Amino acid sequence: MANLRSSFLSCFLIPRGDTLLQLILLLSLLLHHLSASSDDSHFEGFDEIDDEPILFQSPLSDLPLRSPPPPTTLSTSSDQPPSVSDLPPKPSAKTSSFDYWDEDEFEGFPTEITPPEVTKQSEQTTTPPESASTEPDETSKVSEPTSLTKRIRSYTVEIACVSFLIMFAINYFTGKKENETLALAWAATFATKDTIFDKNFSLLGVVEGDNSPLLLKEGQNVFKFYASGRRFCQELLATMELKSRQDLIAKLYNMIVPCKDEITFEVPMNEDAMDHVVFALAKKKAAKAMHKEVRDLQRFANLMTSGPNGRKWVADELTVITESKEVAGDLINETVLDQVFGEKAFGNFGKWFISMHFSDQHQGTHKKMLVFKFALPDVNHMADMTRLVALVPYYIDLIGRYKLSSQARSKTEAARSKVAQEVYKELQNERQEALQRKKAERRKMMEEAQSKLNAEALRKKEAKERARQLKKAMPKIKMSRGA
Amino acid sequence: MSSSGNDPRQPSTAKPYKPQPVHPDNLPIDYSGFIAIIFGVAGVMFRYKLGSWLALIFCAQSLANMKNIETDLKQISTAFMFAVMGMVTNYLSPARGVKT
Repeated sequence: MANLRSSFLSCFLIPRGDTLLQLILLLSLLLHHLSASSDDSHFEGFDEIDDEPILFQSPLSDLPLRSPPPPTTLSTSSDQPPSVSDLPPKPSAKTSSFDYWDEDEFEGFPTEITPPEVTKQSEQTTTPPESASTEPDETSKVSEPTSLTKRIRSYTVEIACVSFLIMFAINYFTGKKENETLALAWAATFATKDTIFDKNFSLLGVVEGDNSPLLLKEGQNVFKFYASGRRFCQELLATMELKSRQDLIAKLYNMIVPCKDEITFEVPMNEDAMDHVVFALAKKKAAKAMHKEVRDLQRFANLMTSGPNGRKWVADELTVITESKEVAGDLINETVLDQVFGEKAFGNFGKWFISMHFSDQHQGTHKKMLVFKFALPDVNHMADMTRLVALVPYYIDLIGRYKLSSQARSKTEAARSKVAQEVYKELQNERQEALQRKKAERRKMMEEAQSKLNAEALRKKEAKERARQLKKAMPKIKMSRGA
Repeated sequence: MSSSGNDPRQPSTAKPYKPQPVHPDNLPIDYSGFIAIIFGVAGVMFRYKLGSWLALIFCAQSLANMKNIETDLKQISTAFMFAVMGMVTNYLSPARGVKT
């Protein structure tokens, strides 16, 4: 720049006779100025090189390697808008300004570079339709025949997800229908007129009325059946939890991890209808799990490894959990063994049986409860589980009438009184803790009140003291008595 | 099965059905709704198209398994909003092109 100024000034100082020379100097200065402004940003280290800007060769061949995206991205904003408008003239504009390096050196380069340039420019100036139209132009320049497949490929995510959603919707309606037919088939077999529950309970169904629906639909795969009005028990609530056929993802999951349609009967017994019975029957693995998890079984009962001597007992796959062996023996009587749980019968009906749990120390709202869990057969074979369903009223009657023998009762009484004492102690502890907390709170309140009072008293004292000090500070007017 | 001769029914003791009120804290966890929210947030924040689509799919699953209309609808609608936001961000935003 110093050179510029000095040469500029010098052309004014030169006498007028050399106007040609001055013109030439001026032109060279102008050219130099222009080239300096355009090449400034590209060749920042090259200010000293001035006279022939266009004919540079060797030093510049290093440059593009250092900063690969061609200078349009590095250049100032003044340069870019003119080169943005059209793509075809653009490469030519590039070549005109960058003649000085060998294009052969960068054969693969321009095609890789142009798409990011295009997107960057579209970010700055154009709207998406333009970029989308320029993009296919570019890709069509590269390879025309695969544009359609490429477009399809670029939408794979959308196509896959939309088709999955369509399948999901179709499956929802078919699965829902299937579940409903299954539930209705069960109700038709066991809950309609002249069926087992109709003969055992006076009130069937959830809503009052003659033609009221029998089943309550809680979800697309959960149905409830309610019955009431029988001796020994308060009510019967049957909950059918079917496979989630309406949910495609759950359906696919159930193909890997098998699942069953289940029905659970819960029968709370009347207060005077059940003696001290804690008993459960299930298949081996399930029995072990129940013994660990269910609280009353854990506390009161033990696994029964073998049946009473000299008697037939349940099938090998089943395990009994009971508080007292005598009670177990009484509950699993001949009839039941012959019909359902014995070796032969279990082979036929065993696949529908899951578990059975009777307890008078049940956790939850009702203490005296019978719980039966069965698997549901498919729609056409609903009658296969008739014997299992018949167990329900049979056991209601059996337990309703059952009285423990004196020995058994003494044992059970001892266990229960222990537990009752523990529960009582826990309650007492809780009450004491609650009382202590209350006392502590009261103390805190009192202390705060006292401190407040103290604070007020302190303030008063301080005020008094200040008043006294003021009085003292005031000059004492000595009064002398008159003589 | 032996049954007593007399009718076991006792109409006098019949009680009408009382649905057990379930405390909202004890409700079973809606896993699919939870996953839908996670994917929806991922789709919106990271501009991940697949995230938004998966959020929509899990939202649909949560809807299919919905048991109680009042309580479950809040979570499902939250998840659905995230999924729709993700869709809008990914497809209708003017700043970026469609190509992944």
